Amino acid sequence: MSPRPQIGPRLERVLALVPWIAEHPGSSLDELAVRFDVTPDELERDLELLPFCGLPPYSPDRLIDVEIVEGRVWIRFAEYFARPLRLTADEGLGLLAAGEALLAVPGSDQAGSLATALDKLAAAIGTERGVSVQVGGGTFLDALRTAADRRERVEIDYYSFGRDVTSTRRIDPESVFHAFGQWYVDAYCHDAGARRMFRVDRVRGVRPTGEHFTTAPATGTDDADAGSVFHPRADDARVTLRLGPDAGWVAESYPTESVTDRADGGWDVVLVVSERAFLERILLRLGPDAEVTAPPGWTTVGPDAARRVRARYG
Amino acid sequence: MADRLERLTTLVANLLDTRTPLTLEQIVRNVPGYPEEKASYRRQFERDKDTLRGIGVPISVETVGAETMYRIKPDEYYLPALDLTPEEQAAIHVAVTAVRLPGVGTDTALWKIGGQEGEAVPALASLPTTPALAELFDAYRKRATVTFTHRGATRRLDPYGLVFRRGHWYVVGRDHDREGPRSFRADRIDGVTVGAPGAFTVPEGLDPATLLRDDPMRFGSEEPSVEARILVDAEQAAFVVEELGEAAVESRNGDGSVVVTTTVTNRAAFLSFVLGLLDRAEVLGPPELRTRMVDWLDAIAAGAA
Repeated sequence: MSPRPQIGPRLERVLALVPWIAEHPGSSLDELAVRFDVTPDELERDLELLPFCGLPPYSPDRLIDVEIVEGRVWIRFAEYFARPLRLTADEGLGLLAAGEALLAVPGSDQAGSLATALDKLAAAIGTERGVSVQVGGGTFLDALRTAADRRERVEIDYYSFGRDVTSTRRIDPESVFHAFGQWYVDAYCHDAGARRMFRVDRVRGVRPTGEHFTTAPATGTDDADAGSVFHPRADDARVTLRLGPDAGWVAESYPTESVTDRADGGWDVVLVVSERAFLERILLRLGPDAEVTAPPGWTTVGPDAARRVRARYG
Repeated sequence: MADRLERLTTLVANLLDTRTPLTLEQIVRNVPGYPEEKASYRRQFERDKDTLRGIGVPISVETVGAETMYRIKPDEYYLPALDLTPEEQAAIHVAVTAVRLPGVGTDTALWKIGGQEGEAVPALASLPTTPALAELFDAYRKRATVTFTHRGATRRLDPYGLVFRRGHWYVVGRDHDREGPRSFRADRIDGVTVGAPGAFTVPEGLDPATLLRDDPMRFGSEEPSVEARILVDAEQAAFVVEELGEAAVESRNGDGSVVVTTTVTNRAAFLSFVLGLLDRAEVLGPPELRTRMVDWLDAIAAGAA
């Protein structure tokens, strides 16, 4: 424990604890410790300080009276603390955004306790549900979450954006989570023989295998997990693009190994390319603004892709 | 440490309980624990005031003649009754443990609404946050006009709400200078100044998400809009329907492909979207867009033979 704990959070807890106990006389200390997420020692220290607080002239009936009998607690003479302190903007936003996000997850009960709780909170904050959270989900989010919950091995059809192909894989879905605006399945992939991160919006089918896996569910996830979605590999191709002056965004949007200014206002960019379709998309979008200059085998990727797409138009 | 916590608690009690504002001298006389000497107790009180304001205690300052006086107005301090049922409290507890918002204070918020009811759950989602977000939310709940810098320009906005979509937060509202609804990505906003409360009313029943202009195909161009039709192969059908919405589906074919229609204003953004589908999609119409796509592809194909 830090030698000088911050006074703010402890004061906030005291200012919330007193009205709760006043409104729930005889609350048990154990229950209070759980409810306010403190150790029994910390709770005891909070309660011990209260009899020294109050109003002048600080006579017994003007000091906060705390009575603890057989592990239960009563508070008197703290009428001015009848209600907790208002929510700050930060706190109000935190509750509403978290609630709206969970409510937006496909399968949530739109008329359940969370929805009615958010209505009440928004009314108290003065916002009329003015925080809108959209998390998407796609067709197979529910199936994948259910499989992860039940530790069921599933077979998925997965569209690889980089390679522009759909393949079938057997996976053990460890966890399903939303980060950076996307849903991901963190899974052991039996076809790759390794853990893989799959984007739920690229899953094209989910089928049960009847088998289960036994890894314990993860207790949570953090951004670090999702950050590993793209790792340049040593054997990925390094492709040099000559970009026009208007195509500078490419260097900011994609993994590059080097960026060199050219005299004409453009750039030479070395891009890490794991899959051909990834480069095709960039080249088709940039059009005449970009040209592959190296390595030799890659210089016709753009024109070849353009001819392939063009063939659809007769 | 304990002394200061006692003093702060007693200070809040005194400022809340008083009907008339108190002078600094009355405060230090009434609240035990302040030093004797004037410069010292003044400094100490200023520190206490900052600490209390830091946790959101609304200390109001009134000047009467030459005298500065302090109090906490109960209606500004007390959280209105929420009347949450235990089930509703448990639902909020689940939500704040399932959805993480780094840097946003949900622990203290939970205390105020009655602590942790029921069980926590594993994290399910993480929403990014940005420094301007709480200020924009504060302005919205107070109905205060905000002034901020966005991409180098100063904007004045009546915020009608906050929207999270595709990994980004947006503030939506009425733009004073452009006279109309606008949306701004919150992470591109700097230097927020919140004006006086009660400066506007939000249109009744407004869903803030309807004001969001993040669809590049419809915005960022002054050209007239057209209805574009695209044939999308089975491989990419689910993705496109997810992007454009189920309402965009014109027909579904036996081979799993779909025909979708969508309103297009920004031609370049539309072509970029379709090109991302490679040879899994074809622009069916209107002829204007189909021709533009063909010309574009021909230009690339001719680039290096």
